[in-house]
Amino acid sequence: MQGKSRFLKITAFLGFAFLYAPIISLVIFSFNESKLVTVWGGFSTKWYAELFRDPQILEAAWVSAKIAFVSATLAVTVGTVASFVLIRFSKFRAKSLLSMMITAPLVMPEVIIGLSLLLLFVAMEGLIGWPGSRGVLTIIIAHATFGAAYAAVVIQSRLVDMDLSIEEAAQDLGAKPVRVFFDVTLPVIAPALVSAWLLAFTLSLDDLVVASFVSGPGASTLPMVIFSKVRLGVSPDVNALATIIIGLVSLGIIVTALHMNRSKRNL
Amino acid sequence: MSEGQLTTDAKPWADPNATPFLQIKNITKKFGAFVAVENVSLDIYKGEIFCLLGGSGCGKSTLLRMLAGFETPTSGQIIVDGQDQAGIPPYARPTNMMFQSYALFPHMTVEKNIAYGLKRDGLPKNEIATRVTEMLSLVQMDQFAARKPHQLSGGQRQRVALARALVKKPKLLMLDEPLGALDKKLREETQFELIKIQESLGVTFVVVTHDQEEAMTLSSRIGVMTAGEIIQTGTPHEIYEYPQSRFVADFIGSVNMFEGRVIEDGKDHVVISSKELGGDIYVPHGISGVEGQKMAVAVRPEKVRISRTDLGEMRNKVSGTIDEIAYMGNSSVFQVRLDSGKRVRVSQSNLTRDDDDALRWDDKVWVGWADDAGVVVAS
Repeated sequence: MQGKSRFLKITAFLGFAFLYAPIISLVIFSFNESKLVTVWGGFSTKWYAELFRDPQILEAAWVSAKIAFVSATLAVTVGTVASFVLIRFSKFRAKSLLSMMITAPLVMPEVIIGLSLLLLFVAMEGLIGWPGSRGVLTIIIAHATFGAAYAAVVIQSRLVDMDLSIEEAAQDLGAKPVRVFFDVTLPVIAPALVSAWLLAFTLSLDDLVVASFVSGPGASTLPMVIFSKVRLGVSPDVNALATIIIGLVSLGIIVTALHMNRSKRNL
Repeated sequence: MSEGQLTTDAKPWADPNATPFLQIKNITKKFGAFVAVENVSLDIYKGEIFCLLGGSGCGKSTLLRMLAGFETPTSGQIIVDGQDQAGIPPYARPTNMMFQSYALFPHMTVEKNIAYGLKRDGLPKNEIATRVTEMLSLVQMDQFAARKPHQLSGGQRQRVALARALVKKPKLLMLDEPLGALDKKLREETQFELIKIQESLGVTFVVVTHDQEEAMTLSSRIGVMTAGEIIQTGTPHEIYEYPQSRFVADFIGSVNMFEGRVIEDGKDHVVISSKELGGDIYVPHGISGVEGQKMAVAVRPEKVRISRTDLGEMRNKVSGTIDEIAYMGNSSVFQVRLDSGKRVRVSQSNLTRDDDDALRWDDKVWVGWADDAGVVVAS
C-alpha cells in the first residue's frame, strides 16, 4: 500500500509539473530585470510598467475585451434559444441532425472555422454589401458563432436536469407562459447562463486563429498583437502581458467552476 | 349489493338529486395510436376525497393532467362547478395541483413559494401576508418560512407543496401521488393530517395513487383504473368487499381465487364445483347462474379460517398441509397446500403473545370460510 501511494504521488507530481512548469517559468521570468529573456538578472516589475506605457498593447487589450464582451453575450443568447429548441420542443424531424450540428464547432479545427467564415464574409460583401469591411464586427460574429456552440452545451445540460413540473406548477398557480419564463425558468437556469457567458468570454479572449482570419486593418486583438511581437523576437514585456492574461483566465475559470458547483447543489 | 347500508345524507353519490361538483363526461385521450384514457365518465361531489387508483401507465396521471389543463382531451367534457373547462388554459382554471415531485421553486423561500399564486392573482400585500401565515401554521411550517426548498426534508417539502396549492382556495385540489416520496412511517402520519386539513377547509380532493393502502385510508370513494378505463367506482368498503372483477379483487389486497362451474342453481343459493379447490363452493345469494356456467369465487385471506380439527358445520371447507408461515408481528400468513395442489393464503391475527398450540410447518389442517365470505367475480 505504502509503495502504491508513493507511486501515485510521484506520478501526480510529474503530471502537474509537465503541465505547469512552462507557465510557472514564464511567470517568474516576467519579473526578470534583464532584457535577455533567458538570463535571470534580478527581480523587477519594470516590464509591467513598460507594458502599460505601450499604446499598441493597451489598445489591443481594450479591443479584445470589447469583442469578448459582445460576442459572449450574443453567444449566450443564441445558445439559449438553440438549447430550448433542442430540449423542449417535442421530436421534430431535423432534431438529431440539429443537435449534432450545434456541437460540431467544438471539434472543428479552428483554421477551418476561420477560413470558412472569412470566405462567407467575402462572399456576403460581394452579394449584399454587408459587412462592409472586416474588423471588430466580423470578429464578434465569428466568436459568437463558436461561442454559441459551447454555450449551448452548457445550457442544454442544465435544461435537461430541470424539472418541467416546476414550470407547470407556476402555470397552475396562475402565471402566464411569459411570466413563467421570467419568474421560474430564467432564475433556475441562470447559473448555467453565467457559466456559459464566462466560457464564451474566455474563449473569445484566447482566440488567435479565427480572429486572424476574419480581422481587418485597425482591428488587432491582444493575442494577435502578442503573436506579431513574438515573431520579431521575444521581448520580456510579452512575459508580463502573458502573466496578466494567465491571471485573468484562471480567475475566469475559477469563477465558472464555482458557479457550476453551486448550480449543481441547488438543483 | 350494499346500497341498503348507505345513508344518503353522508353519501352524495347515492343521492340521485345531488349535483356533482366535478363532472367528467366520456373523456378520451389518445397519444397517436395509443389510447391513454378511454371513455371515462365520473361524477365527483363537493367535499369528497376521490382516489384514482391504478398501476403505472393505467392513465390516471393523464386524466389528472387533463383536469389541470396540461393535456387536452381528444374528446369528451370536463365540467367543474357547472363550468365547462374546455379551452381554459391551466393558469385560468379554478383548480390547483400538488405535483408528485412537489415542484417547489428552488430559488424561492418557503414563504415566497406559497405566496406565488396569490401574487399572480394581484392580491394586496397585506392580504397575501395574512393568508401565507395562515397556511404556514396550518401545515406547521411557521419556523421554516425563510428556508429554501433544498434545506428542507422530504416531509417538509410535501407540506410546503400542499400549502402552496391550497393557499389559493381552489375549488378542486388535485394531488398526484401526494405521499409517494415519503417513507412508510411518515406516510401514515401524513395521511391522517391530509384528511384533517381537507375536512377543515372543505376543498374537494382528487388524488392519484398507485398505493392501494393510501387509497383505502384517504378516500371517500375510489375509482380503480386499468388500461385507460375506470373499471369500478365505490367506497373503500365496497371496493374491498364487493369487487366486481377479478382485476379489482386482485389489485386491492390479496385474494384467493377459485375457478369452477355452476352445478346447482337453487332458489337462494348456487353451488359451484371447483376442481382447483377439490370441492364444492356454496354461495348463498346475490348471483344467478346457469348450470355449467364458468365462475370464479374470490375469498380474502383474513376471512379464511384455519384449524387442525374439522371445521364442523362450515359448508365451504377443505383439508391441506401448511407449506409456509410468514410471521408479520400483528398477524401471521399461512400458505396452505390443498390436497388438490392449489395453494391458499390464510391470515390470522396474533391475539396472544405466545401460543404453545400455534400452527407449525407441515401441520395437517382444515381451511374453510363462511357461506357469505366469498365473492363471485366475473372470470
